[in-house]
Amino acid sequence: MNLNIDLIVNNINYIGAMILFVIGLYTVLTHPNLIKKVIGLNIMETAIFLFFVSIGYVQGAVAPIVNPETGEQMFVNPLPSAMILTGIVVAISITAFALSLIVKIHAAYGTIELDEIMKIRSVELDD
Amino acid sequence: MISYHFPVFILMLLLGFAVVIPLHRKPFGKSFVVKMFSVLGLAFILAFAELLVVIYGEAYSYTFGSYQGGIGIEFLVDEFSALMTLVVITLSILILAYSVKDLEHEIASSKMYSYYTLVFLMLFSIIGMIFTNDIFNLYVFVEALSITSVAIIAIKNKKDTLMASMKYLLMGAIGSVTVLMGFALIYMVTGHLNMSLIFAEINEVWEQYPINILLAMGFILTGFGIKAAIFPLHNWLPDAHSSAPTPSSALLSGLVVKAYVFSIAKMMYRVIGQEITINIGISDYILVFAVLSMVMGSLFALSQTDIKRRLAYSSVAQIGYIFLGLGLGTELGLSAALFHVISHAFMKSALFLSAGSIIYYTGNRNVRKMDGIGYKMPITMAVFTIGVLGMIGIPGTSGFMSKWYLGLAVLDGGHPELLIVILLSSFLNALYYLPVVVSAFLRETPLEMHRSSLPQSMKISMAVVGLGSVVIGFYPSMIMNIIEAAVSTFIGI
Repeated sequence: MNLNIDLIVNNINYIGAMILFVIGLYTVLTHPNLIKKVIGLNIMETAIFLFFVSIGYVQGAVAPIVNPETGEQMFVNPLPSAMILTGIVVAISITAFALSLIVKIHAAYGTIELDEIMKIRSVELDD
Repeated sequence: MISYHFPVFILMLLLGFAVVIPLHRKPFGKSFVVKMFSVLGLAFILAFAELLVVIYGEAYSYTFGSYQGGIGIEFLVDEFSALMTLVVITLSILILAYSVKDLEHEIASSKMYSYYTLVFLMLFSIIGMIFTNDIFNLYVFVEALSITSVAIIAIKNKKDTLMASMKYLLMGAIGSVTVLMGFALIYMVTGHLNMSLIFAEINEVWEQYPINILLAMGFILTGFGIKAAIFPLHNWLPDAHSSAPTPSSALLSGLVVKAYVFSIAKMMYRVIGQEITINIGISDYILVFAVLSMVMGSLFALSQTDIKRRLAYSSVAQIGYIFLGLGLGTELGLSAALFHVISHAFMKSALFLSAGSIIYYTGNRNVRKMDGIGYKMPITMAVFTIGVLGMIGIPGTSGFMSKWYLGLAVLDGGHPELLIVILLSSFLNALYYLPVVVSAFLRETPLEMHRSSLPQSMKISMAVVGLGSVVIGFYPSMIMNIIEAAVSTFIGI
């Protein structure tokens, strides 16, 4: 069975990015700990950065710095990398904001486990 | 031609003022309020002038730094984006006029400057999203909007508000990450970020990459669907919109959600194009979720006793109407959807503001304890009633006109069975809204009031929003003409 090993090897970046994306999504949705949810979110974002940068990659090409001495050369596409810089900044600000909210939640409830917070809230509702 | 730069002037004005607000040292007071409204007034004049320029001239694209040919970031200023900007600024002026008094009892006085900073940043990103013609730029504005819109909820600093905003932040972040994944897939196929260039490119090659485009649109629609709160992805909305301070609820329901919906319309009709949208079957999926949203949102709303939660669930149903129009994939459907974007913005703001006044005045959030409230606060309940009649679709309100256009679009699009869903949803709306109005006006019980009177500024701004809804109901053509002019360019770029 020659299920094109080459196809998998050549696209390993994309496959890896998708696997990471799903791992991150699973963590965000299922983990009760808020900090781990934020970590999951960061994994999702990293997956996309990997995906985006892979789009711009060209086999055997160099960074796009024009050097007149070497003559004609292949360059990788620098645009995705530049966009990912913006993406990283955005990801950091989301993370920082989420962490500061978590600090406030810890101050209000005394825990950052979602199931315990739900218990506290249901007790408050009954009163 | 100075009018060429108007969209950027509006953005710079809002951004600049947002940066200046934290520098204020004096305690929050009248001088700041005057300053704030003069800035907003200037923005209003600019937006109005721009709308006139676009209507009497033509739609144009603005390139930053004159980098032509899709290298630089581009703004597309057409009839609808100019109209939408005007609506955003008009409504935010009215809501902020309401907020000055209302916020005093909802957030700490030391946070007032921070609140207005966030609101101005939020307006900046909404207007940016409306104008932009570049998908990565759209993503950056989306992230700016999602952070600021969470922050204007979390600023209340109560226990349940914190949890609601955490939920909103996580769901919103998943949404924007998913959207970015979709953009990456589109960039992979086309190699462009500019929407017009993507449209040109993708229409030549789409038959070779149907799976890639379907996947990309799946990611994008799911991502924006989370943020626009379409039915199975709506679960953050009721918590977030109901626990937020009243002006924030009105801003979130009236404007923020609409910015995401408009982005979806852009992606479907301007980036991918009508032909591909129909051919790869996106519109059928959207119709299913729209119908589910319309029915389930209303059913959930029926069981709520908290007035703001009831309004929040009703937003889910109303977003379903907009998606119904978008999912038809016809020009009439798109115009009906865009009309409902504006008409719902007015109605839901009127409802949230009047509900906020009821809570401010009586300290009571339960819909079952509102007997006889219409005699105590006639103006508030009149505005509330206008909103309710609009939601049900009684002639003379903007809600009727949007249902009328939607009905015509549904018949035109060959889905007469959807007309039944529209009627059913209107009936459900009547079922959960009318009892509030009836008990407010027809039953009389002595009420104890939480406060002695309602500030004038709250009454006036509320009344103007309600009046706006009625005016749109009587003169829908002034908005519909602009939308129709915009839709023809929107679809056939």
